[in-house]
Amino acid sequence: MRFEVDPRRARPLPFVFAWAGLVVLGGAGLWTAFLGMGKWAPIVQFSIAAIQTGVVYILFMRLKGAPSLKLIFAVSGFFWLLFLYGIIMTDYSNRQGWPPSSVASPPVLETPAATHE
Amino acid sequence: MPDSAVPRPEIQFATLAQQGDTAELGIWAFLINETIFFGALIFTYFLYRNFYPHEFAVAAKDTVLWCGSVNFLVLVTSSLTMVLGINAAAQGERREMIRWLVLTCALGFAFLFVKGYEYYLDFLHKSVPIVAYEAKPGEGSAGILFWVFYWVATGLHAIHLITGIGLVLYMLLWRIRRGEMTPAYYTPLEVIGIYWSFVDVVWLFLFPAIYLVGRS
Repeated sequence: MRFEVDPRRARPLPFVFAWAGLVVLGGAGLWTAFLGMGKWAPIVQFSIAAIQTGVVYILFMRLKGAPSLKLIFAVSGFFWLLFLYGIIMTDYSNRQGWPPSSVASPPVLETPAATHE
Repeated sequence: MPDSAVPRPEIQFATLAQQGDTAELGIWAFLINETIFFGALIFTYFLYRNFYPHEFAVAAKDTVLWCGSVNFLVLVTSSLTMVLGINAAAQGERREMIRWLVLTCALGFAFLFVKGYEYYLDFLHKSVPIVAYEAKPGEGSAGILFWVFYWVATGLHAIHLITGIGLVLYMLLWRIRRGEMTPAYYTPLEVIGIYWSFVDVVWLFLFPAIYLVGRS
Protein backbone atom coordinates (compact mmCIF):
# COMPACT_ATOMS: atom_id res chain seq x y z
CA MET A 1 0.00 0.00 0.00
CA ARG A 2 1.40 3.43 -0.95
CA PHE A 3 0.72 6.67 0.86
CA GLU A 4 1.46 10.22 -0.13
CA VAL A 5 3.81 11.93 2.30
CA ASP A 6 2.41 15.15 3.74
CA PRO A 7 4.47 17.87 1.98
CA ARG A 8 4.89 19.63 5.36
CA ARG A 9 6.58 16.47 6.61
CA ALA A 10 8.73 15.76 3.57
CA ARG A 11 11.78 17.96 4.20
CA PRO A 12 13.72 18.35 7.44
CA LEU A 13 15.60 21.50 6.41
CA PRO A 14 12.94 24.12 7.36
CA PHE A 15 12.83 22.64 10.87
CA VAL A 16 16.60 22.69 11.19
CA PHE A 17 16.65 26.36 10.12
CA ALA A 18 13.85 27.11 12.60
CA TRP A 19 15.86 25.42 15.36
CA ALA A 20 18.95 27.48 14.44
CA GLY A 21 16.82 30.64 14.48
CA LEU A 22 15.46 29.76 17.93
CA VAL A 23 18.97 29.21 19.27
CA VAL A 24 20.22 32.50 17.79
CA LEU A 25 17.23 34.37 19.23
CA GLY A 26 17.80 32.70 22.60
CA GLY A 27 21.43 33.82 22.50
CA ALA A 28 20.33 37.36 21.61
CA GLY A 29 17.96 37.37 24.59
CA LEU A 30 20.76 36.22 26.85
CA TRP A 31 23.04 38.92 25.45
CA THR A 32 20.51 41.69 26.18
CA ALA A 33 20.64 40.74 29.85
CA PHE A 34 24.18 42.11 30.03
CA LEU A 35 23.70 45.31 28.01
CA GLY A 36 22.33 47.38 30.85
CA MET A 37 19.11 48.15 29.01
CA GLY A 38 17.23 48.91 32.22
CA LYS A 39 13.46 49.03 31.80
CA TRP A 40 13.71 48.08 28.13
CA ALA A 41 15.36 44.74 28.89
CA PRO A 42 12.20 42.79 29.82
CA ILE A 43 10.34 44.32 26.85
CA VAL A 44 13.06 43.18 24.44
CA GLN A 45 13.50 39.79 26.12
CA PHE A 46 9.80 38.94 26.16
CA SER A 47 9.40 40.20 22.59
CA ILE A 48 12.13 37.73 21.60
CA ALA A 49 10.23 35.01 23.48
CA ALA A 50 7.05 35.97 21.58
CA ILE A 51 8.88 35.71 18.21
CA GLN A 52 10.30 32.33 19.23
CA THR A 53 6.79 31.21 20.20
CA GLY A 54 5.58 32.22 16.74
CA VAL A 55 8.29 30.11 15.09
CA VAL A 56 7.50 27.08 17.28
CA TYR A 57 3.75 27.40 16.74
CA ILE A 58 3.98 27.85 12.97
CA LEU A 59 6.61 25.24 12.16
CA PHE A 60 7.09 22.78 15.02
CA MET A 61 3.41 22.67 15.96
CA ARG A 62 2.49 22.55 12.28
CA LEU A 63 0.18 25.52 12.06
CA LYS A 64 1.64 26.46 8.67
CA GLY A 65 -0.91 25.40 6.12
CA ALA A 66 -3.27 24.10 8.80
CA PRO A 67 -7.07 24.34 8.40
CA SER A 68 -8.65 27.58 9.68
CA LEU A 69 -10.41 25.79 12.55
CA LYS A 70 -7.07 24.65 13.96
CA LEU A 71 -5.69 28.18 13.64
CA ILE A 72 -8.71 29.57 15.50
CA PHE A 73 -8.19 27.04 18.31
CA ALA A 74 -4.48 27.87 18.52
CA VAL A 75 -5.02 31.63 18.67
CA SER A 76 -8.05 31.50 20.97
CA GLY A 77 -5.87 30.48 23.93
CA PHE A 78 -4.05 33.83 23.68
CA PHE A 79 -7.33 35.62 23.03
CA TRP A 80 -8.83 34.33 26.29
CA LEU A 81 -5.57 35.13 28.02
CA LEU A 82 -6.00 38.77 26.97
CA PHE A 83 -9.47 38.76 28.51
CA LEU A 84 -8.06 37.32 31.71
CA TYR A 85 -5.29 39.94 31.82
CA GLY A 86 -7.78 42.75 31.17
CA ILE A 87 -10.11 41.65 33.95
CA ILE A 88 -7.25 41.20 36.43
CA MET A 89 -5.86 44.64 35.57
CA THR A 90 -9.20 46.37 36.13
CA ASP A 91 -9.19 44.82 39.59
CA TYR A 92 -5.60 45.66 40.55
CA SER A 93 -5.64 49.15 39.05
CA ASN A 94 -8.63 50.05 41.26
CA ARG A 95 -7.30 48.61 44.50
CA GLN A 96 -6.43 51.01 47.29
CA GLY A 97 -3.25 50.40 49.26
CA TRP A 98 -1.88 47.72 47.00
CA PRO A 99 0.73 46.32 47.16
CA PRO A 100 0.76 46.08 50.96
CA SER A 101 3.78 47.95 52.26
CA SER A 102 4.30 45.33 54.97
CA VAL A 103 5.64 42.83 52.42
CA ALA A 104 8.32 45.12 51.07
CA SER A 105 9.35 46.61 54.38
CA PRO A 106 8.86 45.77 58.07
CA PRO A 107 5.26 46.28 59.23
CA VAL A 108 4.43 49.68 60.65
CA LEU A 109 2.00 49.99 63.53
CA GLU A 110 -1.02 51.99 62.42
CA THR A 111 -2.53 54.66 64.61
CA PRO A 112 -6.16 54.07 65.75
CA ALA A 113 -7.28 57.03 63.62
CA ALA A 114 -5.72 55.51 60.49
CA THR A 115 -7.33 52.12 61.24
CA HIS A 116 -10.83 53.63 61.33
CA GLU A 117 -10.48 55.59 58.11
CA MET B 1 1.73 -4.81 4.80
CA PRO B 2 -0.86 -7.50 5.63
CA ASP B 3 -4.45 -6.36 5.29
CA SER B 4 -5.09 -6.89 9.03
CA ALA B 5 -2.32 -4.40 9.85
CA VAL B 6 -3.85 -1.63 7.74
CA PRO B 7 -5.12 0.93 10.25
CA ARG B 8 -8.85 1.53 10.20
CA PRO B 9 -10.66 4.54 11.61
CA GLU B 10 -12.61 4.25 14.84
CA ILE B 11 -16.29 3.59 14.31
CA GLN B 12 -17.37 7.22 14.77
CA PHE B 13 -15.08 8.47 11.98
CA ALA B 14 -15.52 8.08 8.25
CA THR B 15 -11.81 8.22 7.42
CA LEU B 16 -8.42 8.17 9.13
CA ALA B 17 -7.88 11.76 8.00
CA GLN B 18 -11.04 12.86 9.82
CA GLN B 19 -9.97 10.94 12.93
CA GLY B 20 -6.55 12.58 12.79
CA ASP B 21 -7.99 16.09 12.38
CA THR B 22 -10.30 15.53 15.35
CA ALA B 23 -7.44 14.31 17.52
CA GLU B 24 -5.32 17.34 16.60
CA LEU B 25 -8.20 19.68 17.34
CA GLY B 26 -8.53 17.94 20.70
CA ILE B 27 -4.92 18.67 21.68
CA TRP B 28 -5.35 22.30 20.62
CA ALA B 29 -8.47 22.58 22.82
CA PHE B 30 -6.39 21.17 25.68
CA LEU B 31 -3.62 23.66 24.96
CA ILE B 32 -6.10 26.56 25.26
CA ASN B 33 -6.47 25.52 28.92
CA GLU B 34 -2.72 25.17 29.29
CA THR B 35 -2.13 28.62 27.77
CA ILE B 36 -4.50 30.19 30.29
CA PHE B 37 -2.99 28.11 33.11
CA PHE B 38 0.63 29.15 32.47
CA GLY B 39 -0.44 32.61 31.26
CA ALA B 40 -2.10 33.35 34.60
CA LEU B 41 1.01 32.14 36.43
CA ILE B 42 3.31 34.35 34.36
CA PHE B 43 0.95 37.30 34.79
CA THR B 44 1.17 36.89 38.57
CA TYR B 45 4.92 37.09 38.16
CA PHE B 46 4.65 40.33 36.15
CA LEU B 47 2.30 41.81 38.73
CA TYR B 48 4.65 41.22 41.64
CA ARG B 49 7.73 42.09 39.61
CA ASN B 50 6.07 45.43 38.87
CA PHE B 51 5.33 45.98 42.55
CA TYR B 52 8.75 44.91 43.83
CA PRO B 53 11.23 45.39 40.93
CA HIS B 54 14.31 45.85 43.09
CA GLU B 55 13.58 42.90 45.39
CA PHE B 56 12.89 40.64 42.41
CA ALA B 57 16.09 41.69 40.65
CA VAL B 58 18.21 41.05 43.74
CA ALA B 59 16.56 37.67 44.46
CA ALA B 60 16.84 36.56 40.81
CA LYS B 61 20.62 37.17 40.78
CA ASP B 62 21.00 33.90 42.68
CA THR B 63 19.47 31.80 39.91
CA VAL B 64 21.95 29.54 38.11
CA LEU B 65 22.18 31.07 34.63
CA TRP B 66 24.19 28.29 33.01
CA CYS B 67 21.62 25.69 34.08
CA GLY B 68 18.78 27.73 32.58
CA SER B 69 20.73 28.36 29.36
CA VAL B 70 21.77 24.72 28.91
CA ASN B 71 18.18 23.66 29.51
CA PHE B 72 16.96 26.18 26.93
CA LEU B 73 19.26 24.61 24.34
CA VAL B 74 18.32 21.07 25.39
CA LEU B 75 14.58 21.73 25.18
CA VAL B 76 14.69 23.58 21.86
CA THR B 77 16.80 20.74 20.41
CA SER B 78 14.35 18.17 21.76
CA SER B 79 11.55 19.95 19.89
CA LEU B 80 13.58 19.57 16.70
CA THR B 81 14.27 15.87 17.28
CA MET B 82 10.59 15.32 18.05
CA VAL B 83 9.58 16.95 14.76
CA LEU B 84 12.21 14.94 12.85
CA GLY B 85 10.79 11.78 14.45
CA ILE B 86 7.30 12.68 13.22
CA ASN B 87 8.72 13.43 9.76
CA ALA B 88 10.28 9.96 9.73
CA ALA B 89 6.94 8.44 10.75
CA ALA B 90 5.23 10.30 7.90
CA GLN B 91 7.77 8.87 5.47
CA GLY B 92 7.51 5.35 6.86
CA GLU B 93 11.11 5.29 8.06
CA ARG B 94 10.64 3.29 11.22
CA ARG B 95 14.29 3.11 12.30
CA GLU B 96 14.77 6.85 11.86
CA MET B 97 11.58 7.51 13.79
CA ILE B 98 12.68 5.34 16.71
CA ARG B 99 16.15 6.94 16.71
CA TRP B 100 14.77 10.50 16.84
CA LEU B 101 12.21 9.64 19.51
CA VAL B 102 14.81 7.95 21.71
CA LEU B 103 16.96 11.08 21.34
CA THR B 104 13.96 13.25 22.27
CA CYS B 105 13.45 11.18 25.42
CA ALA B 106 17.15 11.38 26.25
CA LEU B 107 17.07 15.17 25.90
CA GLY B 108 13.98 15.29 28.13
CA PHE B 109 15.86 13.33 30.79
CA ALA B 110 18.90 15.59 30.31
CA PHE B 111 16.70 18.60 31.01
CA LEU B 112 15.41 16.99 34.20
CA PHE B 113 18.94 16.06 35.27
CA VAL B 114 20.21 19.65 34.86
CA LYS B 115 17.08 20.95 36.59
CA GLY B 116 17.61 18.52 39.45
CA TYR B 117 21.21 19.69 39.83
CA GLU B 118 20.00 23.29 39.80
CA TYR B 119 17.47 22.50 42.53
CA TYR B 120 20.33 20.99 44.55
CA LEU B 121 22.37 24.21 44.13
CA ASP B 122 19.29 26.25 45.12
CA PHE B 123 19.00 24.15 48.24
CA LEU B 124 22.67 24.78 49.09
CA HIS B 125 22.14 28.54 48.55
CA LYS B 126 19.11 28.42 50.84
CA SER B 127 16.69 29.53 48.15
CA VAL B 128 13.91 27.06 48.93
CA PRO B 129 10.97 28.82 50.61
CA ILE B 130 9.62 27.04 53.70
CA VAL B 131 12.25 24.25 53.51
CA ALA B 132 15.55 26.17 53.54
CA TYR B 133 15.32 29.87 52.91
CA GLU B 134 17.52 32.80 53.83
CA ALA B 135 16.78 36.31 52.52
CA LYS B 136 19.90 37.76 50.85
CA PRO B 137 21.06 41.33 51.55
CA GLY B 138 18.93 43.87 49.68
CA GLU B 139 16.23 41.37 48.84
CA GLY B 140 13.88 42.46 51.61
CA SER B 141 10.92 40.37 52.62
CA ALA B 142 9.45 40.48 49.06
CA GLY B 143 12.35 38.53 47.52
CA ILE B 144 10.76 35.29 48.66
CA LEU B 145 7.88 35.97 46.23
CA PHE B 146 10.31 35.52 43.35
CA TRP B 147 11.47 32.18 44.71
CA VAL B 148 7.92 30.98 45.30
CA PHE B 149 7.22 31.75 41.63
CA TYR B 150 10.46 30.02 40.61
CA TRP B 151 9.60 26.78 42.41
CA VAL B 152 5.94 26.71 41.41
CA ALA B 153 6.61 27.57 37.74
CA THR B 154 9.63 25.30 37.20
CA GLY B 155 7.97 22.50 39.20
CA LEU B 156 4.81 22.63 37.08
CA HIS B 157 6.92 22.80 33.93
CA ALA B 158 8.91 19.75 35.04
CA ILE B 159 5.67 17.83 35.69
CA HIS B 160 4.54 18.66 32.15
CA LEU B 161 7.87 17.52 30.73
CA ILE B 162 7.74 14.25 32.70
CA THR B 163 4.26 13.71 31.23
CA GLY B 164 5.71 14.33 27.75
CA ILE B 165 8.54 11.86 28.33
CA GLY B 166 6.01 9.30 29.55
CA LEU B 167 3.93 9.78 26.40
CA VAL B 168 6.96 9.38 24.10
CA LEU B 169 8.00 6.24 26.01
CA TYR B 170 4.45 4.91 25.66
CA MET B 171 4.73 5.46 21.91
CA LEU B 172 8.12 3.76 21.72
CA LEU B 173 7.36 0.82 23.96
CA TRP B 174 3.76 0.16 22.99
CA ARG B 175 2.31 1.77 19.86
CA ILE B 176 5.43 1.76 17.65
CA ARG B 177 6.45 -1.70 18.82
CA ARG B 178 3.05 -2.97 17.76
CA GLY B 179 3.56 -1.34 14.38
CA GLU B 180 0.73 1.14 14.87
CA MET B 181 2.56 4.23 13.59
CA THR B 182 2.49 4.14 9.81
CA PRO B 183 2.52 6.80 7.09
CA ALA B 184 -1.25 6.19 6.83
CA TYR B 185 -1.85 7.15 10.44
CA TYR B 186 0.69 8.69 12.80
CA THR B 187 -1.55 11.33 14.42
CA PRO B 188 -0.93 10.12 18.01
CA LEU B 189 2.72 10.99 17.46
CA GLU B 190 1.75 14.32 15.91
CA VAL B 191 -0.44 15.13 18.94
CA ILE B 192 2.37 14.32 21.38
CA GLY B 193 4.71 16.45 19.27
CA ILE B 194 2.37 19.44 19.56
CA TYR B 195 2.20 18.95 23.33
CA TRP B 196 6.00 18.62 23.54
CA SER B 197 6.53 21.86 21.62
CA PHE B 198 4.07 23.64 23.90
CA VAL B 199 6.15 22.59 26.92
CA ASP B 200 9.11 24.10 25.05
CA VAL B 201 7.18 27.36 24.53
CA VAL B 202 6.51 27.62 28.28
CA TRP B 203 10.26 27.47 28.90
CA LEU B 204 10.83 30.23 26.31
CA PHE B 205 8.92 32.56 28.65
CA LEU B 206 10.19 31.18 31.95
CA PHE B 207 13.80 31.63 30.81
CA PRO B 208 13.78 35.47 30.67
CA ALA B 209 11.38 35.68 33.63
CA ILE B 210 13.64 33.66 35.91
CA TYR B 211 17.21 33.88 34.67
CA LEU B 212 17.52 37.23 32.92
CA VAL B 213 15.58 39.53 35.28
CA GLY B 214 18.35 39.79 37.88
CA ARG B 215 21.04 40.46 35.30
CA SER B 216 19.43 43.14 33.14
